[in-house]
Amino acid sequence: MGSIVSIRDVVKEYSLGKVVVPALRGVSLEVEKGEFISIAGPSGSGKTTMLNLIGCVDTATRGVVEVAGQDTGKLTERKLTALRLDTIGFIFQSFNLVSVLTVFQNVEFPLLLQRKLNGAQRKARVMQLLEQVGLATHAKHRPNELSGGQRQRVAVARALVTEPQIVLADEPTANLDSVTGQAIIDLMKSLNQQKGTTFIFSTHDYKVMQHANAVVRLADGKLQGRETGEAAVAAALKGMSVAPVAQAAP
Amino acid sequence: MLQLFQMGARSLWQHRTRTLLLGAAIAAVSALLIALTSLSTGMRTTMLVSATTLSTGHLNVAGFYKVTSGQSAPVVTDYRKLMDVVKDAVPEIDYLTERGRGWAKIISDTGSMQVGLAGVDISKEAGFKKVVTALSGNLDDLAKPGAIVIFEEQAKKLEVKVGDRLTISAATPRGTSNTIDVTVVAIGQNIGMMSNWNTFMNGTSLRELYQLNDDTAGAIHVYLKDINQVKTVQARLRKVLAEKGYGVMDDDPRAFWMKFQSVNREDWTGQKIDVTTWEDEISFVKWTVDGLTGLAVMVTIVLLVIIGVGIMNVMWITIRERTREIGTLRAIGMQRARVLGMFVIEGFLLGLAGTVSGTALGFAFSAALNAAHAKVPVAAQLFLMTDHLVMLPTVAWAVFAVLFITGVITAVSLVPSFLAARMKPITAMSHIG
Repeated sequence: MGSIVSIRDVVKEYSLGKVVVPALRGVSLEVEKGEFISIAGPSGSGKTTMLNLIGCVDTATRGVVEVAGQDTGKLTERKLTALRLDTIGFIFQSFNLVSVLTVFQNVEFPLLLQRKLNGAQRKARVMQLLEQVGLATHAKHRPNELSGGQRQRVAVARALVTEPQIVLADEPTANLDSVTGQAIIDLMKSLNQQKGTTFIFSTHDYKVMQHANAVVRLADGKLQGRETGEAAVAAALKGMSVAPVAQAAP
Repeated sequence: MLQLFQMGARSLWQHRTRTLLLGAAIAAVSALLIALTSLSTGMRTTMLVSATTLSTGHLNVAGFYKVTSGQSAPVVTDYRKLMDVVKDAVPEIDYLTERGRGWAKIISDTGSMQVGLAGVDISKEAGFKKVVTALSGNLDDLAKPGAIVIFEEQAKKLEVKVGDRLTISAATPRGTSNTIDVTVVAIGQNIGMMSNWNTFMNGTSLRELYQLNDDTAGAIHVYLKDINQVKTVQARLRKVLAEKGYGVMDDDPRAFWMKFQSVNREDWTGQKIDVTTWEDEISFVKWTVDGLTGLAVMVTIVLLVIIGVGIMNVMWITIRERTREIGTLRAIGMQRARVLGMFVIEGFLLGLAGTVSGTALGFAFSAALNAAHAKVPVAAQLFLMTDHLVMLPTVAWAVFAVLFITGVITAVSLVPSFLAARMKPITAMSHIG
């Protein structure tokens, strides 16, 4: 399988007035199609920055970020937006649903932006996904009429509705209780297995990380390691400091 | 697109208190614009009906006769022949009448006043009785020699009633003074400014006063089937009259009595014909209507600027509140143009709802004032040309109000919407507040 995401020597710096704050310091990473990969690390380690770069909502200061074979640094704003729409699905920590739209409309929205399907096809696709996330009966509800877990399931459905190659999830369970969080991860995992969609999610919850088939560890904006396979992941979770980066690269 | 409209509408509904306040302000401006334009349209219509009956036709074929170059009289000689020429040249004619014209002093036992005199043949004045209402006496008695109709305000000043005698003193075209005695046969209800200086008397008696022969008239009033044709017909008449050998005065859009000085300065004698429109003859009052229309538009613009600033501020607040939502929508693939469209649609919907309801309110307010037959003070009657308010809302102004004000509101919302669309998704999503 080829890389769906390729990050090479990426540096990301933010300017806070006259102070330059490095968020990523020369990170390289390859993500294969169909992986269910977790980015782990303490707060401020650069997890969200990495997801933002992969999600094309931000651009690297230096280095190359390739998503679905396209160098994002060379794309116009319009093309980046189109890439996000057609290739990437987002699941946010705080759900980020549009409050004035119903559950159905929230999930349907990316399809409307795509303009590829007609009304009947859109309806069928949305309802199928809502069935999958167990919210078909809530299609006409507004987000404020749902629980946190239900909202996150709507966000999952919205992220998947365009059948993207990659789904990015930034701390998807952080605002949920452990049972609901577990259910969301199970849902993501089953969709990953059924459809072969690549999932990249950030978390610092070890229970969540256990479901990943690879864990990428970040600290202070640097890649600390990447563990693949259940045993390696388990070991990584135990010590969070197993293999050096060079050995861990796939 | 439908979804953007739906989002806009729901967003407005979600913040209904704010929407209601802004919508009410927009509605108030729209209603004010409709009310003011209804008033000016009402005035224009009243003026048209009153003026074209009392002091002018749709078109006037009149002129000046000068015995010497420095002395003019507002008369046309051999008017019957002139009438035939007009009839042949203007197939659009509904009807035409001849009127005598004059400016004289009327004197009662207790007072006197300068007035304009119109000599009429009441049997040929089709519209006269539709406009003038007799408070006392009988308008048809104008057919009697020595008869005069004055208005209630004039009757008060002169302290006369029906049956009383008045003396009229005027300068004849020959430069001498002449007086005749007349009898008040009717007192008409005031009809605004026109009734302040207009009086109507028997046409034959007016000729006696000015010592004119039977073939001389003040003006031929031409009434067209379609008043919108006046300019075309005026141009044609001027051309035809010149071709027929009449001396035709240069086009001068002023009332006949404003032309005496300039005519007296011109070096010619004999008869010259002037063809004027109703608007020329009442140009001295038309500015009030134009002024009011201008005022309506000015007031609307000023209020719109104030409300526009308010709308812009509210849009800023809305966008601040929804910055994270903008970031999310941009992240999931919404192009900048669509973000712009989303907020512009919201402004458009707010503007449309406000102006439509405001216009409806303006129509209702106008209808209520008409139904109430609201009296206006005497001073205001001078300009309004009626003793009560006449509001005439029009579809054209309603359409203008809706399009213009909605357009302004939409345009105002463009600036913050544009800046919202320019935001980077990452910046918008990490916005706090």
